[in-house]
Amino acid sequence: MRDPFKYIFIWPAFLVVLMVGLFPLIYSLTVSFMSMRLVPPRPPRFVGLENYVDLLASDRFWDTIGTTLFVVIVSVTIQYVVGFAVALALHAKVPGERLFRVVFLFPMLMAPIAVALVGRMLFHSTVGPVNHFFTFLGFPNLPFLTDADWAIATIIAVEVWQWTPFVILLMLAGLQSLPQDVYEAADLENASAWQKFWGITFPMLLPVSAAVVFIRIIEAFKIMDTVFVLTGGGPGTSTETLTLFAYQEGFKKFNLGYTSALSFLFLLTVILFGIVYLVLIRPQVEKRI
Amino acid sequence: MRRVFLATASAAALTLAAGTAGAQCDPDFSGVTVTVGSQTGPFIASAMQMAGETWAEQTCGEVDVVEFPFGELYPKYLTAMLQNEATFDVITFAPAWTPDFAPYLSEMPAEIRQTEAWQDIAPVYRDRLMVWDGVHKSQTIDGDLHTLSYRTDLFSDPAEMAAFEAEYGYPLAAPESWDQYYDIAAFFTRPDDGLWGTAEAFRRGGQQFWFFFTHAASYTNHPDAPGCMFFHPETMEAQINNPGWLRALEDYIRSVEYSPPGALNFSSGDIRTAFAGGQVAMNFDWGDTGTISVDPAQSTVAGHVGSALTPGSDQIYNCLTGEWSQYDSVIRSPFMAFGGWQAAVPEASDDLQAAWHFIEWASNPENSLQAAITGGSGVNPYRFSHFETIDVWLGNFSQVEAEAYLGAQRGSLEAPNITLDMRLPGYFSYTEILEIELSRALAGDVEPQDALDAIAEGWDELTDEFGRDAQLAAYRASMGLPPM
Repeated sequence: MRDPFKYIFIWPAFLVVLMVGLFPLIYSLTVSFMSMRLVPPRPPRFVGLENYVDLLASDRFWDTIGTTLFVVIVSVTIQYVVGFAVALALHAKVPGERLFRVVFLFPMLMAPIAVALVGRMLFHSTVGPVNHFFTFLGFPNLPFLTDADWAIATIIAVEVWQWTPFVILLMLAGLQSLPQDVYEAADLENASAWQKFWGITFPMLLPVSAAVVFIRIIEAFKIMDTVFVLTGGGPGTSTETLTLFAYQEGFKKFNLGYTSALSFLFLLTVILFGIVYLVLIRPQVEKRI
Repeated sequence: MRRVFLATASAAALTLAAGTAGAQCDPDFSGVTVTVGSQTGPFIASAMQMAGETWAEQTCGEVDVVEFPFGELYPKYLTAMLQNEATFDVITFAPAWTPDFAPYLSEMPAEIRQTEAWQDIAPVYRDRLMVWDGVHKSQTIDGDLHTLSYRTDLFSDPAEMAAFEAEYGYPLAAPESWDQYYDIAAFFTRPDDGLWGTAEAFRRGGQQFWFFFTHAASYTNHPDAPGCMFFHPETMEAQINNPGWLRALEDYIRSVEYSPPGALNFSSGDIRTAFAGGQVAMNFDWGDTGTISVDPAQSTVAGHVGSALTPGSDQIYNCLTGEWSQYDSVIRSPFMAFGGWQAAVPEASDDLQAAWHFIEWASNPENSLQAAITGGSGVNPYRFSHFETIDVWLGNFSQVEAEAYLGAQRGSLEAPNITLDMRLPGYFSYTEILEIELSRALAGDVEPQDALDAIAEGWDELTDEFGRDAQLAAYRASMGLPPM
């Protein structure tokens, strides 16, 4: 027999979760269908899908989607490749492996705003050591933060520097959990290092890889501090990401209805991208397991 | 007899004690806590705290300075005032927000405006920035305007002077016009020596547009057409794509040529370090370049810092006639970029009297001077007495540097054609459009006229969205023009 009393104890917790978790989302969704400005103050007005239509018709919105996707795809790909390679090296017990293991984690432990500030100084046109190095080699002074293409590349470089340690950490944990008997069997078959990697390590780590890349994709979509500090979204709007666009609309213009619609389109973009990624990766994971 | 003596002594002691207590609390605000909203310190917040401590000693009240990041100030203040909540007794804010805040602010008590200290405030603050719709709603607690800084070691070097005069046909000195500014900038641009002519803020989000406005003030703030600079004062049509603004943008873009590499990413902080580091021969900025570059701990050019008014022009575009006016001499139009922090008391405050008393105390000649000469307070001079007591400035400043610095500040404030910053509801919506297009023009992605046309179109759309009549009324009020 079902005990009705147990529900009395569950409902308060359920309501709290509902209030804390869902209410802000529902409120924000409601605001996204309204024209609500704090500056200059305007009484809220229901506008239906107007905010969404305006955004979808805005070149700036699509530009920020393009910029964000480019940064996400390129930076996460580099993070995964470099992170996996470093994890393999550390797992192979290279000399000084313990020191490297700690040192590699430093960037990840820093606040993103601090990492961005370090990046800004490194790539500074006149006092930055990166430009000093290139000019020493005879190259002209490079516009790392002021040319659109260079600026995007710089943002990606800083992202890779900060978040590759995260990939290293998880891939190394995955490598250490792999069973050794499989490698012993491969040794008996005289398998080469490449055959062991491609035939054993990579497929067995594919579920971990899929999870790591998925987490990094979701996190990379939220990039804000790095762009804000390095370029402020400029020149023009060429390095503006979705989150920075939302910040400008929400915290500089206080256009709350428009910003809420933008946030939901941002959420939709992340969900869609995540679904596409999972649909593509799932057969590979299932096939390799 | 002994009893009489004891009674007399006791009475005297009690009277003395009561008198001392009264003197300690003058006026007596015991039990009153004045809550002051401020941006996160040290700038401005430390000045408020400093004044709060002495105010507490004087009045027996308390001051609680509540700090928020700059970006959160506006919504926090506005939300509290819209809901008539006494969250803040005093708010410190940007003049650009005055149009939005004015309906919820109390009027400054008349007594404050009948003192000698009142007459000591520079008129451009006292009679213009502190007034909205003819009512005194706020008190300036910081002076802000752009002045020019230049390296006297270069400008006074006989070899440099001779070479410059030989090349340009007039003596090397602080530039009076923008044409001279670019001659000098070109002359000192020597990348092989690690020296460039000037540095300005070009970075989107790095106070960029205030530097552009300083250029534009010289060409668009027509003495005979008040309120003509940003919008047409009768139709509210954006003026930012007129020939005056075009010339200003072409100048602004030209500045990049004479700035250090990567200057497109310079914010105001970067141009201060560029000047203090000896990278550039001159720059223009708020008072901060002056105070930083005379400090040997922060500067390699300390002892060689000259100050002057920003350059002007002998041609100014008149938006009412649609023509340039030619003048016999250069007209200086110093720009009050940002305009300096203001303090005001919301109507909803629990204790208007104590709140206004605190503002009067914090901004009185003695306390404001102390704040102005304290590094990191963020307070720049705004009273005549700040300029007159030169001795207190002599620390990092040499006598010559201090006189030049204060002279440039005061000369700017007293310039007949001084230019006020735009103050309009939705200020940041307007400036965001401006910043994006400015960045594109600076990067060479669009032609200057196209960028200005796009800004004007965006500004006109915003004006229509916010209500043209309401915006026009606010704009005219901000420019000191009567209602239409």
